This record gives sequence, structure tokens and C-alpha cells, in this order.
Amino acid sequence: MAAQLTLDIGLRDGATFALFEPGANLPLVAALEAAEEPFLFLWGPVGCGRTHLLQAACHHHASQGGSPVYLPLPALVAQGAVAMLEGLEQLGLICLDDLEAVAGEPIWERALFNLYNRARAAGTRLIAAAASPPQTLPIALPDLRSRLAWGPVFQLQELDDAGKIAALRRRAAGRGLELPEEVGQWLLRRCERDLPSLLLQLDRLDHASLAAQRRLTIPFVRSVLGAATTPPDRA
Amino acid sequence: MQPVWQRCLERLEQEIPADQFNQWIRPLQAEEEGERMTLYAPNPFVLDWVNDHYRERMEQLLGELGMQSIGFSVGSRRLAAPVEKVPELPPMPRPAGTGAAVNLRRGNLNREFTFDNFVEGKSNSLAKAAAAQVAENPGEAYNPLAIYGGTGLGKTHLMQAIGNTILRKNPNASVAYLNSENFFQDMVKALQHKAIDEFKRFYRSLDALLIDDIQFFAGKDYTQEEFFHTFNALLDGQRQIIITCDRFPKEVEGLEDRLKSRFSWGLTVAIEPPDLETRVAILKSKAAQGGVALPSDVAFFMGERIRSHVRELEGALRRVIATARFTNSAITVDFAKQALSDLLAVQAKLVTIENIQKTVAAYYKIRVADLRSNRRSRSVARPRQIAMALAKELTSHSLPEIGDAFGRDHTTVLYACNKVKELREADQRLAEDYANLLRTLTT
Repeated sequence: MAAQLTLDIGLRDGATFALFEPGANLPLVAALEAAEEPFLFLWGPVGCGRTHLLQAACHHHASQGGSPVYLPLPALVAQGAVAMLEGLEQLGLICLDDLEAVAGEPIWERALFNLYNRARAAGTRLIAAAASPPQTLPIALPDLRSRLAWGPVFQLQELDDAGKIAALRRRAAGRGLELPEEVGQWLLRRCERDLPSLLLQLDRLDHASLAAQRRLTIPFVRSVLGAATTPPDRA
Repeated sequence: MQPVWQRCLERLEQEIPADQFNQWIRPLQAEEEGERMTLYAPNPFVLDWVNDHYRERMEQLLGELGMQSIGFSVGSRRLAAPVEKVPELPPMPRPAGTGAAVNLRRGNLNREFTFDNFVEGKSNSLAKAAAAQVAENPGEAYNPLAIYGGTGLGKTHLMQAIGNTILRKNPNASVAYLNSENFFQDMVKALQHKAIDEFKRFYRSLDALLIDDIQFFAGKDYTQEEFFHTFNALLDGQRQIIITCDRFPKEVEGLEDRLKSRFSWGLTVAIEPPDLETRVAILKSKAAQGGVALPSDVAFFMGERIRSHVRELEGALRRVIATARFTNSAITVDFAKQALSDLLAVQAKLVTIENIQKTVAAYYKIRVADLRSNRRSRSVARPRQIAMALAKELTSHSLPEIGDAFGRDHTTVLYACNKVKELREADQRLAEDYANLLRTLTT
């Protein structure tokens, strides 16, 4: 589901820092935007915005005239595409997503170890994201593990309810759509409360609002999402 | 960024999902010359993919934007040297006395690594002294010099400090620093391009050869063979060789015996994990390098909590400094605690009494049950005392709680802690064991 979501959101919104609701993650977002740390590691559960942040970092770097690359490691590992890592130190920024995918894959661990060394020598920045911190990733090569902790390591904090509503409103505003606070609260009471699911609902509302030329009011939202939401007596 | 390529990117961004756009399109670098554009991919893999999936559309878009011809190549705008046509060969051998290869290879040394910013402590003073000797008298003092120790303790720093010092004293010297992997790859490329003679000439003409992480030579027989001959040629000519390894070189499996025996001709020195004082000094020195005055109590707090390796120490420091800057806060112990709370929570989760027992038992090749048993033989009692001392040092459990976990009372725990403290000062071997265990448990 996560991959499908990235894809949709990517096309609709573009993943930028402006569309990311920082919540408690302000120091992390600030560090990413400042783009000064040669190495940075961020971790947190699925759905809290790792991929969004990596892509925003790519976007930001490109907007400054640099050439970044984003690497979805699970897909690359599945393809055995270790050749993808060659020569990347010629770029300005390398973003590694879902780093846990290389754990226990000796060829990949070695290749990433070498990439870290080359990036350091070339002055190329490197941002890695994973489900858990470097200390607990089941990486067999200690040389790689120690390099992962070279720069600051940030835990991505999940948004609380208020943060999720703010994230929805921010995303809606980015599409020129006004999502009133009470509609946000309504969504949080009736729908799956993880951010990716909430954003999917926003997608549906966006389409419906465009088609019906209606603003997002509670009655309208209820009529659109009626079937998908949990009836109050079962909630 | 060139305007035409910029406009093309804006169009493509609307058509291609962000993850694919960031993976395949953004790493391309464009070079515009009038109506001609060359797009450089960082490697052949990206180039092939772009050819198969996006080339047609890109040519169409760029055509609409007025480009008459579009070339695709592997390389980078910065280097503007497509790797396809000009294979990356090791630099040409230095014509006698001119030092032509120097500049090509000097790029491999990182000038940030100097003796001045290497923080010395008990754990690395021997290695530093040896390195300083070699830097002053390359080819004469200790040859080869082998530095070994765990990852992230400063082997590369010391090695490159030697290289930088040699170059400072003699700007015409040719010094090559490589990871063993680069040596291997240079050699493979030379073989592919039938340039192995040049490869040999280059490496055998150096004044100093610095090879990092030679444990990765293990099992690569042909590389070892070539390295062995290079090694001999350099030693014969009294050129300096420095190697690093993650363990005592003789203990690396898959490394040829004749190579190992050559290493022992020179000097082999260890770098141990830094002790608390050194960790504090490292933190203060790194902070000062970044223009930040780190209060002593904060340095002490961080040094005490982060014990594994210098990289993690540096990462944590950067985290604290960055957070302080973005939240406009003063760096105090409470602030550091807060900024590193996730890191500290991860550590706390790793270090449980149970985990300590398991690790100590595995280290001494005994069973966890032995640690909890009534057995008093030395082979069991000593590890038990060490495990208790570790539990006291690394967890916040009370002495009675620790005692419980070992089927003992709290006075036994207290006795064990004192005993271990005493032994760590008197018994080198035990001190090493303790340091290793501490490191394993906190990495």
C-alpha cells in the first residue's frame, strides 16, 4: 500500500518540505533543509513520512541546481541491481530508502560500505532512512553499521491527532482545497487514523469535490465517504 | 542548471511519479552547447534504464524546446569525461623526478585528517606515536606500519595524517591512499583494459602506499598476489607502506601467509576503543572544530552514555548541535538528554541484564545457566563477576535486582564490582576482556 501511495501523492503533490507537517520533527526537517550534514540517518515506522522527506530532500537539492538520486533499496535488492550504486558519488546528494533491505545481504552491505567511503571522499551528502536505528538494524558488516551512525541519527516521531489534522489541511491547501478543522476532526473519528489512509481519503475527497464543484463540508464529506467510514455505533 | 534542461525537467516532473523521477531523471546532468545537449548518467545502469524508458519522451520534449541533437553518455558534468570512452585507468606512472602523478593521487587524501586534530588518549597513544615516527621518517622508521582495531576508532584518520604529513614535508612525494576495494577495482579495470603493466608501474613507483581495511583482501587471491609483489617492490626501494585492518592482521582468514609474514616485518600497533577521558576530549575537540563550546558536564554526560566508537560519538554530537541551533537552545545536560532521548532509549533497550548474561557467557564460552548456578570454579566465577559489574555499569537496576538475576544477594554484587575494578587495573587481559564486552554491549 505504501508504494502505491507514494506514487499517487508523488504525481499529485510533489514531495516537498512545504507539504510535510513537521510536528515534533522540526529539528530533523530543519537539518534536512539546511543541507549541511554530510551524513544523516532517519528512522521510524512505515507511514510516518520517511519517503516523503527523502524525496523532499532530492527536490530541495535539485532546486539549488544540484543532481540528487533517490534509491528505493528493496526494489533494487530484489532486482540484484547493485550496479545502480556505481559512480553515484559524482552527484551532490544520495538518498537511500528502506535501508533495512540490505541487512544480511553481504554483497549489498559491502557495496553500501564502499558507497559511504566514496561519498565521504568526494564530499557527496548521503541521507539514509530505515525502519530502525543503526544500532538495531541486523547489518552484519560492522564497518557499514558504524558509518550509518556517522552523522546525526533522528527518530521520526509520529504525528499526534492534532498533527495529523494539520498534515491533512496542509496537503489540502497545497492543492488549493480548503479543509476545515472540523472536517479534519470528523475524518479522524470515522476513518483509519494512520496518515497514509487519511491521505487516501483526502484524495477521494479531492476528486469528488472537483467533480461536484462542492466545498468540503461535513455533510458533503459524509456523503462521499459514507461507505468507507466506520459507522459510529461500531467505532 | 541550464534553462532548457530545467524546463524539460519541469515537464517530466508532471508526467513521472516522484520516486521514479528522483531515481532516474534527477541524477542526470545536462551540458548544453548551443543547440546540442549531452546528458550524463552516473553509471551505465541508469543510462540503460533511461534509454529504455524515457529517452524517446525526452528527445521529443527537448526537440520542442529547440534542441537539435541530444547525446546520452555515462559520466558527470563536473568531470565532463565520459567513462565509456576514456576508461578510468590508474594514473600514468610518474616520469622520473617530475612528480606528475602526485596531483592525480593527492585527491585521495582527505586533508582534514591531521595529527593536530587527532585526539590522543590511553587507547591510541602507541599508535599515534608510531604514526608520527613514520610520518617524520617515511620508509625508515617502521616499514610496513600496520594499524589495527575496530571500526570507527580512527585508523583511517591516523593513516591519512601520515600521508598528509609526508606530503607537507615533501610536496613532490607521490602518496596514494586507497581502500583495499579501490585497489582491487583499479586492478580489475587495468586487467580489462589490458593496462596491467601501467597499473604495476604506477603502484610500484610510489613513495608511500596507504591501504585501508586490508581484511577485504581476504579470499581475493589474485589481488593478494599483485599486492604482494607491489609490497615487495616498495619495501625493496625503502618506500613506506601503511595498512589498516579491523583485527590483528595475522588473524584474518583468507589472507595469504606470506603476506601476513611480511606485515610482521614492520610494526603492528593496535587502536583500542577510547576510554571515558578520551571520549570527552574527542567530543570537546570536535565541537570546537565546529565553533561550538561544549560545556564539560555535557561532554561528560555524552561520553559516558556513548561508548561504542568515535563515529557514533560524532553523530550524536552533530545531532545535539543541530537541534540546539534549530531550536535556539543552550546546550545543557538536560537539553542533550532530550535531544538524544531516542538514541538513549535504543541503548537502554539493548542493554538488559539478560542480554549482558548472554553476551558474557558467549564471550567466555560458558552457558548462561552457569552464570546463575552455584558453581564457584574460577572459570565460572570470574565471568559471573564481570557480568555483575557490567550490569551495574550499564543498567539502572538496583544491586538487589542484579543479585536476583544471578541468584545471589546484593553484597555479592558489590563485592564483584569492587573485585572487577581492582582486577581491571592489575590484569591487562581482564581489562581487555571487559573493554571488549562493554563495546559489544553498547555498539
